[in-house]
Amino acid sequence: MQAIDSKNRHLPNRLGIKGWVWAGRYTWERYLYTLHRLTGLGLLLFITIHLCINGARIGGESTWADVMDIFETPAFKVGEYLVIAAFIFHAINGGRLILQHLAYTLGKPKAPVYPYVDAMRQKRRFMWAVLFVIVVLAIYSLVLFVI
Amino acid sequence: MKETRLKILQYVSGIALFVIAGGHMLYSHFSNSDITSWSSIADRAASNWWLVFYVLLLIFGLYHGLHGLRTIILEYFSISDSSVKVLDYIFVIAGLAILGYGTYIPVEAL
Repeated sequence: MQAIDSKNRHLPNRLGIKGWVWAGRYTWERYLYTLHRLTGLGLLLFITIHLCINGARIGGESTWADVMDIFETPAFKVGEYLVIAAFIFHAINGGRLILQHLAYTLGKPKAPVYPYVDAMRQKRRFMWAVLFVIVVLAIYSLVLFVI
Repeated sequence: MKETRLKILQYVSGIALFVIAGGHMLYSHFSNSDITSWSSIADRAASNWWLVFYVLLLIFGLYHGLHGLRTIILEYFSISDSSVKVLDYIFVIAGLAILGYGTYIPVEAL
């Protein structure tokens, strides 16, 4: 496998931005890749807005109270939950990516004897487990959020 | 800094954020105390432990977020090495500026 250093960093991204919508034969992992990027960009945007809002503290107690009143509306409550759901997805899926990049979930190497056990199927079992944890945590936090 | 080191730092900051940002989320959204009240934020701004907590959150969050944005840009746009250097400088300056502003807020509000 070719190492990506400064001289050959620009390997072609064959699907490009279109791959965010249609992943072709890459299937599930590619959609998780898209969601990881979308949630990451969303959380980065949220951090920026969060810091701007924090700046209202400099205006004193009344300015702070005025700004906080805006966030009591239902639309912002929905937005607040979306941030929590994005964080859950990004954190758990990020854990999966770290483990896979460090090769912890690929299984031990075996002789290529039929029926083959390839690394992709090993990963996929782990991916379903990760998706299950994400869904459970998202539903649990929704219940806590609503109550 | 080599790409591998930047990537390892991305993993380290991700793991740190799992703990720190996860704690921040739990405390902010699921605790019963009124954490957006003026007295609550003034109490936390006066505590050195909370300041360390929030500054660490800011450092790890900014590194992780800006490096992630850099990764996406490099994945989809074929840009020269010299342009990557310019991009890196922009990200470092932007990160330090946001870190400075984010740290200044609680200090100024005391």
